[in-house]
Amino acid sequence: MHFITGGAYNGKRKWVRALYEPKQWISAYHNHPLPVRSNDFSEKKIVLEGIEMWIKNDVESRDGSNIRANWKTYIQSWREWEREEEDRLIIMIGTDISKGIVPMNKLDRTWRDVTGWIYQDLTDLSNRVDIIWYGLNQQLK
Amino acid sequence: MEKAPVYFITGGVRSGKSTFAEEIAHELARTHSGTLLYYLACGRAQDEEMQKRIELHQQSRQNSVIPWALGEFPRNIDHSIPFYSKQTIVLLDCLTTWLDNELFSINSGLSKEHLQNVMRNMLESIETIRKHCYSLIVVSNEVLHEPLTSNEIVQAYQKTIGKLHQELVARSNQAYLVEAGIPILMKGNR
Repeated sequence: MHFITGGAYNGKRKWVRALYEPKQWISAYHNHPLPVRSNDFSEKKIVLEGIEMWIKNDVESRDGSNIRANWKTYIQSWREWEREEEDRLIIMIGTDISKGIVPMNKLDRTWRDVTGWIYQDLTDLSNRVDIIWYGLNQQLK
Repeated sequence: MEKAPVYFITGGVRSGKSTFAEEIAHELARTHSGTLLYYLACGRAQDEEMQKRIELHQQSRQNSVIPWALGEFPRNIDHSIPFYSKQTIVLLDCLTTWLDNELFSINSGLSKEHLQNVMRNMLESIETIRKHCYSLIVVSNEVLHEPLTSNEIVQAYQKTIGKLHQELVARSNQAYLVEAGIPILMKGNR
């Protein structure tokens, strides 16, 4: 698994496209539902884009307490799917939303917190992590 | 005509990015004799606090061993070209303020067309300036790390900044991110 993060509009998508030429692109920005089960995958290289927006949906539909645990389950099942065949790869793109001022709205604060925790879990379970900064990558893991 | 190298420097508010930009300028001036320093300011003092910040930066440049010439161009910064030569190190401070001035001085809203025009013109100005100076140092702000708003105008603005920064980084010889006074080299070699 490869986790890609960085600020908004920093060229993350372009960088991923250039590196992998992935066939299946599942995007929260296009309102695609989160593929919680791996039988939604029909290609070998899968991009999951807009992790923070799927988390936002979760935060808006229930309290924040179980979201992180649920995500751990999703990530583990993606990883298991990936390991079943040699050339499978899950590429996850999540925008960094952690560095602004504390949001006024409680839901937004929860969203920001939960997103930070899940990004830590994603980093933990990924083989590779990159930050994209205006088109340039910095490999963190 | 040969184009001057670009040094791109960003950082958060009060990160020390302007100070670091001045250091780069001094270093370039020291290592290339005969060069001059030109400070291209895009900020307009709209309140007392802004005025104080400007004075603080002016003071630091007055104490400098190599003297700075100052030009204030809130918009159309390529109009500064007559004031310098191929021996001049130009420090542009800063890109986001300049963008704001270009975007909001005409009351045309933030239509896609307007944003694209402004961005294209700004990049053209930068390329024109590069043909008329020795080096160009561009300072900008890190503003894209907070939750995206659902406000479309803000989104369009953020997208424009992101694209401008990507363009600047692509054109730069060196690019730095300044964190708490510490410059991190993101592109190029020192």
